Amino acid sequence: MKTADFRGVLWRDNPLLVYLVGLCPALAVSDRLVNALLLGAVMLFALLGTGIAAVGLERFAPPRLRLPLRLLLASALVTAAQRFLWAFAPTFTAPLGVYLPLLSVNCLLLGSAGAGSFSDGLLEAAGRGAAFAVGLSLLALVREGLGAGTITLFPVGSFGGVLNLRGLPPARVLAAAPGALFVLGYLSALARRRGRGRS
Amino acid sequence: MSQPAPHLHQGPTTRGIMLAAAACLAPAATWGALALGPSALRVLAVAVGASLAVELAIGLSAWRRCTLGDGSALLTGLLVGLSLPAYAPLFVPAVAAAFAVAVVKASFGGLGRNWMNPALGGRLFVTFSWPVLLAVRPRPASGWLRLPAGLADGSLLGGSGTLGLVSTLLLALGGAYLLARRIAAWEIPAAFAAAFALTVWAFGGLPAGDGLFRGDLPAALASGGFALAALFMATDPVTSPQGRAARLAFGAGCGVLSFLLRVYGLRPEAPFLAVALMNMFVPLLERLSAWRGGR
Amino acid sequence: MSQARSFPSGGVCPPERKSATASLPIRKACVPAEALLPLRQHAGQAARCLVRIGESVEEGMPIGRAAGPLSADVHASIPGVVRQLREIRLADGTASPAVLIALEGEFIRTGRARRPLDWKSLSRGELLQRVEAGGVVDLNGVPAAARLRGAGPARLLVVNGVESEPYLTGDQRLLVEKAAEVLSGAAIAAFILGAGTVQVGVEANKPEALRAAAEAAAGFGFEVIALEARYPQGEERLLVQSLAGQRVGGRLEESDFVVLDVGTLQAIHEAVTLELPQIERVVTVAGAAIRHPANLKARLGTPVSALLEECGLEDPARVIAGGPMRGFALSSLDTPLTKGMNGILALSRREILPAVRTACIGCGRCAEACPWGLRPAELYKWLEHGETAAARSRGLEACTECGCCAFVCPARIPLLQGLSAGKREGAA
Repeated sequence: MKTADFRGVLWRDNPLLVYLVGLCPALAVSDRLVNALLLGAVMLFALLGTGIAAVGLERFAPPRLRLPLRLLLASALVTAAQRFLWAFAPTFTAPLGVYLPLLSVNCLLLGSAGAGSFSDGLLEAAGRGAAFAVGLSLLALVREGLGAGTITLFPVGSFGGVLNLRGLPPARVLAAAPGALFVLGYLSALARRRGRGRS
Repeated sequence: MSQPAPHLHQGPTTRGIMLAAAACLAPAATWGALALGPSALRVLAVAVGASLAVELAIGLSAWRRCTLGDGSALLTGLLVGLSLPAYAPLFVPAVAAAFAVAVVKASFGGLGRNWMNPALGGRLFVTFSWPVLLAVRPRPASGWLRLPAGLADGSLLGGSGTLGLVSTLLLALGGAYLLARRIAAWEIPAAFAAAFALTVWAFGGLPAGDGLFRGDLPAALASGGFALAALFMATDPVTSPQGRAARLAFGAGCGVLSFLLRVYGLRPEAPFLAVALMNMFVPLLERLSAWRGGR
Repeated sequence: MSQARSFPSGGVCPPERKSATASLPIRKACVPAEALLPLRQHAGQAARCLVRIGESVEEGMPIGRAAGPLSADVHASIPGVVRQLREIRLADGTASPAVLIALEGEFIRTGRARRPLDWKSLSRGELLQRVEAGGVVDLNGVPAAARLRGAGPARLLVVNGVESEPYLTGDQRLLVEKAAEVLSGAAIAAFILGAGTVQVGVEANKPEALRAAAEAAAGFGFEVIALEARYPQGEERLLVQSLAGQRVGGRLEESDFVVLDVGTLQAIHEAVTLELPQIERVVTVAGAAIRHPANLKARLGTPVSALLEECGLEDPARVIAGGPMRGFALSSLDTPLTKGMNGILALSRREILPAVRTACIGCGRCAEACPWGLRPAELYKWLEHGETAAARSRGLEACTECGCCAFVCPARIPLLQGLSAGKREGAA
């Protein structure tokens, strides 16, 4: 996959912002940047895994078993990630709630068909996963920054994790569900606009 | 062909309609400024200014033309200002007006394309964004008229006592002019007022345990939001239905929702919420008045 | 006479603006030095040209022969020599071949008094033939002969004495001054049609015309009915609805009713009793930009500029051929007077009240004004998006292009133009 395709999938074909795939987890966990980053990372991981597996399945598995096997694999990967996170970072995993396992469905939608070579499959999955993560993080950045007046990241060393933004009092509606749809709408318009200029 | 027929016209132009509505708000706005002092004046000025500025900016950058001439931005700004309390910090009317023009109106294509009343959209955005700043609070004696202290409402002109009463009267006067000149459709405020008054009077006493037909009608009618919403916001031609049956249903729906949201929801901005909710049903309501034409 | 009746809903009440010419008697306009006669002054195909350049023509001589069902003969309106045969643009923007005649010679038809023939001695076929030979065309461009031949025996003939557009007073004056001739034409038409009843509709606010019509009608046994002064009262189907009290289902041509206007009926009378073809017509020249407004009886083919000059033109904002509600703004004042042109209006800016066009604000005034209960703004939007079928299923075909919708539109959307273009597209 060339660089142009990569930029294409980031804006013009962004799975979250343009195709509106995975809206449910996206709107739910974009209230804080740290949640968005985490979910995005898990999505990337799961997509990479299913991407590699899809190519293998395409070559070796009987046709009727490919879809169920892909679903099984996606669920397994997501569950593994979930268990890992619960074990090592429970405070960050708790806010993700039920939306983490929901990712397995989205992996199915976004997973590649496995038609090309392994490297193609890998790049495609990486592109889509990264695009999803970027879109989600942008959404969370705006929502949390304007809606709650903070930016929450992973605590590192002495940094507690929460950046307080000074300025006007935060607009609470953006931190709630309707606000999420507002912001998503405009980000979607922005992504299409940027995507139109390219390719 | 050169200029098309008909070559004569009758009735107001778009600008005439918008400016007439703005002019009818002027008495109530002046009263508000006099009664509440410079803070009210500032809220109004910021709302109108932000509305005009944002409409000009979007018009020039997106459509390459200035649409201020049709008077709708001025009207939106005035309505936003009048629907906010005088104690709102100044960024609130600015954001409300900007949201109204940019998101509710311009994002859908500008004048005539929006489905929700822009001023209402702006007011509701700030209602849910900064609820604490806009909450009902006691009003000190202020303004050039030195009115006695009372309870302020969610809107500029609302509240107990003289302020609310006179405001409602002045708004009713302005509204009556609009109805007389057939700029506003009479079915909407009539149905709105009838439904609201009936439900408040009949069921308004229930939450307090007073029984039926004991509702506090005067207080509900005199609150500033009701007259503004019924006469100036619900009657916006772009977001209200056409046809008598549809308009009556629309007004009645607004009235009933206003009652529910005020008496059971305890929201001071109930009429605004009610009209915004009914705006969603306008295409459906218009089916009640199907075209009857044909040879 | 009965009380003022009207159609059930819709319509508008534009300002009358008839005071300048309502009491001015019809006077003859100056004969033009050159008459430019279009060969298509009717709804159908252009008439076939019968003359060549250089040929001498007499007044009233046929110069074009009807070619097709809705076509009619065209006659020379002045005696003279054919100087040119060329294509011109008519007031409505369409093209038509035309014959240019330069004035020369004697007026043998209109100059001399003739004894009117007693038409009752003629048969139905002979009467029709005379009407056809006269090239009589009504205000809608339909040849009178075609109307009279009709689909079947008509029950009721309606005399359309209604002139509900502002400024126009030609028909009104015709009734006041020549009611007997008009109703004689109606009697002829009724005989040809086999119609049992004749009703005359005149607006209630024209007492002089009502009186004149009633006096003449008494002799013929016709009924004169006063109608509300509301536009478009003169629209045929609405007129029938006002008079007969019932809606006309289906096409008017297939119903029991035939509607003919007073100008056409007078032309029928002249064509039958005097064998005088349609070479003149009454036209109201009015508007704030006219110094001396008048009701002129002018020769067909007279350039509009000549008539305007005769009445004194003063810096107009717009010159219109026809009425202000449906007439055509003229870009060239050389356009000739044709059979359907009942008015030439020179309006000032203050009369027109130009305004900027904005987006539709959904006020619904157009729907309230439409006499047919349509929703013009909605139809316009469908047509704007190219959805002609959707517009037709919502009643586009019922539109009679009266212009009431655009008249009241605050956003100044060209609804009439849009709807009529959509109808043409649908018919194509």
